[in-house]
Amino acid sequence: MRALADASERWCDADFPPRVRAQRAICERTGYSLPVVEYALDALFQSASAAALEAAIVDEIGSLSALDGAVERAGRPALHALPVGRVCVVSSRTTIGVAIPPLLFALCAKCDVAVKDREDHFVAAFLKTAAEELEELGTAAVAEAWSGENDARDLAAFDAVVAFGDDVSLRKIRSQAAPRARFVAFGPAASIGYVAREALADAAACTRIAAGAARDMLLYDGEGCLSLHALFLERGGAIAPAVFGEIFRTALDRASVEFPPGPLDARAQARVANARNVAAFRVSEGRGAVIGGSAGYLALLDAPPSEPPSFLPRVVAIHCVDGPADALAYVRAHRLPIEAIALAGNRDDVDAMALETGASRIARFGELQRPPLGGNHGARPRIAEFVRWVTSEA
Amino acid sequence: MSYATEAGELDREILGTIERWRAGARALADSEFGDLARRICAHQLRYNEPYGRYGAAFGYAPDQPPETWQQIPAVPAQAYKEAIMATFDPARAALTFETSGTTGGAGGLHFMETAELYDRSLIAAFDRFVLGDGARLRYLNLVPNPAERPGSSLGYMMDRVARERGTGETGWFVTAESLLFDDFVAAVRSAVAAGEPVCVAATAFALVHVTDEMDARGLSWALPTGSRVMETGGFKGRARVVSRDELYERIASRFGIAREAVVAEYGMTELASQYYDDPLRLRDAPRRKVAPPWLRSRAVSAAGTTLPAGTVGALVHVDLANRSSCVAVATEDLGAVYGDGSIVLVGREAGAALRGCSLDAETLRGIAL
Repeated sequence: MRALADASERWCDADFPPRVRAQRAICERTGYSLPVVEYALDALFQSASAAALEAAIVDEIGSLSALDGAVERAGRPALHALPVGRVCVVSSRTTIGVAIPPLLFALCAKCDVAVKDREDHFVAAFLKTAAEELEELGTAAVAEAWSGENDARDLAAFDAVVAFGDDVSLRKIRSQAAPRARFVAFGPAASIGYVAREALADAAACTRIAAGAARDMLLYDGEGCLSLHALFLERGGAIAPAVFGEIFRTALDRASVEFPPGPLDARAQARVANARNVAAFRVSEGRGAVIGGSAGYLALLDAPPSEPPSFLPRVVAIHCVDGPADALAYVRAHRLPIEAIALAGNRDDVDAMALETGASRIARFGELQRPPLGGNHGARPRIAEFVRWVTSEA
Repeated sequence: MSYATEAGELDREILGTIERWRAGARALADSEFGDLARRICAHQLRYNEPYGRYGAAFGYAPDQPPETWQQIPAVPAQAYKEAIMATFDPARAALTFETSGTTGGAGGLHFMETAELYDRSLIAAFDRFVLGDGARLRYLNLVPNPAERPGSSLGYMMDRVARERGTGETGWFVTAESLLFDDFVAAVRSAVAAGEPVCVAATAFALVHVTDEMDARGLSWALPTGSRVMETGGFKGRARVVSRDELYERIASRFGIAREAVVAEYGMTELASQYYDDPLRLRDAPRRKVAPPWLRSRAVSAAGTTLPAGTVGALVHVDLANRSSCVAVATEDLGAVYGDGSIVLVGREAGAALRGCSLDAETLRGIAL
């Protein structure tokens, strides 16, 4: 655990040569701008401290010692958390570093791990650093890029398979895994934000919320499951939605400088252009407003609730609502699988709504894209997936 | 000038343009096209109220229309679903076509004040691009029957063609519920026995089903010489997608016709004119599509600026035959426009794949079903 934390700490250094090389390769592969990739690596490795790893492990299995031998427990048999066996992590094509947290916890559980790396060989580079910290990590984990089916690993040989991707990919991977293997799937999901009227108290408060929401929206060009895909603004605040829209525009302009957009392919450009045209038509009919600067983002104020999120790069719909019930109705009407929700405003009915959306994480604006290592992404445990529980009454 | 006088004059000009092209006159010069397009735009800014408001957002007014046809504000096709995009009282519409619905939303309506513009535009282009040999054909239509779906522009289109250019023996083999495969087989066999060439008009999706069923039953034919297939519509909203290359190969082998006898049409309910595969370049890959001279297109960037020739972007169409609705329509269809006005459509497969554990609208629709 300490070796992994030390390796992570080295990767926190923006000048660490392997990281610099990996950043370049990730930019090339994903098309994201360098500041976006830098942010991703900072968020990833700064969260992977020894304290964070230990806290997550102790919380889930009781103690670090349980990984090394049977540990007495009050009122229950002694527990030994053995490795589940061989673990395979199949990361998705364009996300950055999603394989790292399960890799860290699987290694902490003393599993042998194979990671489907990407063309940037980012995971392999990190593992090399880890092996420099602790030699045996070099043999416990391997990261290789493979694509398609011809050179795919034999997933049936693994005791646990962690997979990220769309439903089609997950179904396929599941079918290839051993029937009794643990299957840890992270499927498609969306994230939303809700601003209660109390939080719309004054311009300063709104500026903070807008700055956070802009970051949540623009990072990774809005393409991750933690990206802000829909924003709900409660009516009745001191700051009216239209005024908030202007504050949001300023925040988006600033965030666009901090996190420049990646290039869009022609299909995405056509869809964004169409979204802009439709919004402009609606505005001409007296419905809503378009918040769209020259920096390649588009926010649609007072978007029709009948329409699901567009899931277009750097496009977000802002829905003006009377209360949390409206937001919940929207989520249910469009059957949105919610990963996280950002909240501004402390009110019981808002908190209750957040739980009812099915979100596995409630966060502050500006933090959506920075999940803590100890969080339960996808509503899954961190290390418990990778251990085999053995109780001893002897 | 009254509305009726102005509309009548514009219609006469457009019809005259169509007639001259039919008679073999040269294509419209850019200035001629632009002049007529601008005047139609001004007419629509004055009489099509939603379009007038939309145009005003771009700084245009009836007495201050755009200076070039490229500047004409193009309404998104979605506008037809959200407003009545007509220069006239739709109660007087000669033709009303239904556009497809969207997720969670209703479809739209395209009202046309006169059928003449649509009909003459259609027949002139169909004659030039599909019936260049002047053939009289039996029309076997795997598209909605207008008697059952009067709002189907595709059904209306093939009905007009069959009435004006057919032999009188026209069949319809798609109902709201099913594809009438046995009836289609009987009609094909009848034509083959009679040695009468046919035109099978079908959506790409229907052709996949027909050829699947032919394979399942071990059927194939050698259609009479001069037969052809007009494919249209793509695979929008369908789970099963076959590449166009594979589809055309299947059609050619199952129907016993040359690949060049398969012609694709590209149109929209929101337009009155259509593109077709260029009959002079049917061996090209990808095929170029051409339109009659009163329909022009631009490929645009996300910001709406016109892209250089040959660059792929979203297509914006300017159709003079859309006099009574909107002359310029923006689409999400991807394509490149070339210097000669021809276009190449780019399929959805060229688009970006899903990123990571993200979600897009199509995935969402899959979940919601």
